[in-house]
Amino acid sequence: MLALEWSRALVSTIPGAVVPALLIGGLGLGLVAWGWSPERLGLGTSKLGWRVIGGFGLAAVLLLPAAARAAAVPLLPGGLMAAAVAVSIGEEIAFRGTLFAALEELGGAPLAVIGTTLAWTAAHALSHPAEFLPAVAAAGLLLAIWRMTFRDLVAPIVAHTIADLAL
Amino acid sequence: MRRLWLLAVAAAAYIVAAWSVAPGFYDGFSPPQPYNFVCPPPQAGANAQPSDGALDIKIINGSSDPNSAFTNDGQLVIGFLPAAFDITGKTGVHVSITPVTPCPNPPGLHFSTNTYHITADAPLVKSANLVMRYSNLVADPSYIYRAESLEGPWTQLTVQQQAQLWTISTSTNQLGYFAAGYPSNAISTDGKSNQQILPIVVAALIVAVLLAGVPLTLLRRRQARSGADDEE
Repeated sequence: MLALEWSRALVSTIPGAVVPALLIGGLGLGLVAWGWSPERLGLGTSKLGWRVIGGFGLAAVLLLPAAARAAAVPLLPGGLMAAAVAVSIGEEIAFRGTLFAALEELGGAPLAVIGTTLAWTAAHALSHPAEFLPAVAAAGLLLAIWRMTFRDLVAPIVAHTIADLAL
Repeated sequence: MRRLWLLAVAAAAYIVAAWSVAPGFYDGFSPPQPYNFVCPPPQAGANAQPSDGALDIKIINGSSDPNSAFTNDGQLVIGFLPAAFDITGKTGVHVSITPVTPCPNPPGLHFSTNTYHITADAPLVKSANLVMRYSNLVADPSYIYRAESLEGPWTQLTVQQQAQLWTISTSTNQLGYFAAGYPSNAISTDGKSNQQILPIVVAALIVAVLLAGVPLTLLRRRQARSGADDEE
């Protein structure tokens, strides 16, 4: 997963390669879940309405610091919309879905929360300046705790996608 | 209940961490390195002054060598083709790039980037390719403008397809003053639109949570009650 994320970050620096790198990277991350049941990944369909609403709530939290300082908000170039969706879903399935389930099986929920947060932060080390990493880690921690609390991945996917599209 | 508290603490920790950096740590999209403004906008925060740049182009076999001049912070790069300069009487060509202070504010235009003065001690006879980087904190520029003097007139140059995020490029057959921006009356509201949209998005999400949460809660209670009735 880390190799995939770092490769994606490096390829994205090549002129014209940003969108293909994000789309292929997102797809690749999604494939990490191959063989896992949806329920193990937190993608079962029970209480789906609640979980989508939970995703809206999480998205509101993720966007709140930017919305409160809207004058400083950068704009996501339109061409990156599809790529943003692909990479958001892929990352959630890979980190909070598959990796979380594997670590939980190995050492319980606390290991899964800490392990996915560390891996998620490390995955962004090449694509983000160092000063952004605490915020990236905090976002990962929040989404992982949601996954642990409600055994749900739908809300993190919804929240992550909305946050990436809005910023 | 303990886990809900943990979730609340994590949400608070995220807000504090996210507040401490500039908004927009895109997930998967490399944030550009901070732009060095001559005249930083209020949202820029800490700002370093932009760099200048210089290049000495050699004369080889009677024509100027192909080469690129750039500012030391990489905010402007200009590439010259072979024999790009009229080198009559020259043993070399010196190119210099200087950020202009104070920032020009021509009527009808809004510049997203610094204005740079590019000079050479020989006339340019072939088009040069110019690439300017811009900040993610300002509205995207639509054009690169060129002028022979700061008083104008500013000529709008045709921009090339964007090869890299946060850059704009064009070709120019003259040197002089360059800045990337847009007509004030065209997309000057572009930056503001997101300023208005994002709070609306967040408000809409909160309203959606509240509005959808109420019927879902009622439905859940009704189901729980009917379950209890069935047991009786």
